[in-house]
Amino acid sequence: MPLILNHLLPVHWAIAGAAIAAVTLGLLFLANRRLGVSGGFDDVCSLLLAQPYFRSGAVRSGRQWRLPFVIGLVLGGFLSAVLGGGWKTTWELGLFDQVIGLGHAGKLAWMFAGGLFIGFGTRLAGGCTSGHGIFGLSNLELPSLITTVSFMAGGIATTQLVYRVLFHVVYFRG
Amino acid sequence: MPLYLLLGTIFGFVLSRSGAADYNYIQGMFLFERFQLYGIIGTAVALTAPGLWALKRFGRTATGRPIQIELKPLHRGNLVGGLLFGVGWSMAGMCPGPIFVNIGEGKLYAVAALAGALAGAGVFGTIYTRLQGRLRLPPLALDTGKA
Repeated sequence: MPLILNHLLPVHWAIAGAAIAAVTLGLLFLANRRLGVSGGFDDVCSLLLAQPYFRSGAVRSGRQWRLPFVIGLVLGGFLSAVLGGGWKTTWELGLFDQVIGLGHAGKLAWMFAGGLFIGFGTRLAGGCTSGHGIFGLSNLELPSLITTVSFMAGGIATTQLVYRVLFHVVYFRG
Repeated sequence: MPLYLLLGTIFGFVLSRSGAADYNYIQGMFLFERFQLYGIIGTAVALTAPGLWALKRFGRTATGRPIQIELKPLHRGNLVGGLLFGVGWSMAGMCPGPIFVNIGEGKLYAVAALAGALAGAGVFGTIYTRLQGRLRLPPLALDTGKA
């Protein structure tokens, strides 16, 4: 199945997994940092908000490295598009367009709502797919196991409810 | 600073080209129809785990500093927050890294996902002290300026 991005074919999962492991280990070995992305939401919020949570040492100490790291993520996506057929803006959303198919405003509202769950949920859980799912599981941490099982369960239940139950998708051919 | 930018760029490029930042591949994972994301996360953990073990045994970073890993606290938020995050991951088809990657790729709706995520984190930080007791969240250590 091609990617939404310029309909490119994805790299093999083993190559992608190995590259992610290399970045994770590189970040620790070169800079003594624990991989994690969702803390970046706190970092951005801490630039704008002054509640005690955003003034805590745990939040402020991450800013100096996580902000450049997430800017790198944006740059990586940009370079991937430029080197893979060209950068252009798009509203394309694959299965969502085929089955649910809201207009632009509806898509923005749906994405904002999804984002609220992501922002609140990851901060409450103390991490996301990278900090808990990859680093925490690899480091055999119990909170990460609980969080990973929980977010996989939440994701599976939601997608199954939306696509199988509400929209009766039997098999998604892509 | 340039190192973090570089590692972030590599990470973002890999997420972009692997399907991890692709709505269809995320739904395919949660529908149990595509192995790709299970393969990516499984391989990443299978290779990072022995690497971490070896690095901790070696005990030092490239610059000779002792390796320090901040452990994440155990509390009820792991379960509740994990479930909520899973709902959001399914809805947006993106977890936090891919939100940034998709913005870089030019997917316009990803900007709304980022706005939502920042708002969600803002709400969490604002009501933190009210959730603390119920969910057994750790106390806040205020920044003393030394961090």
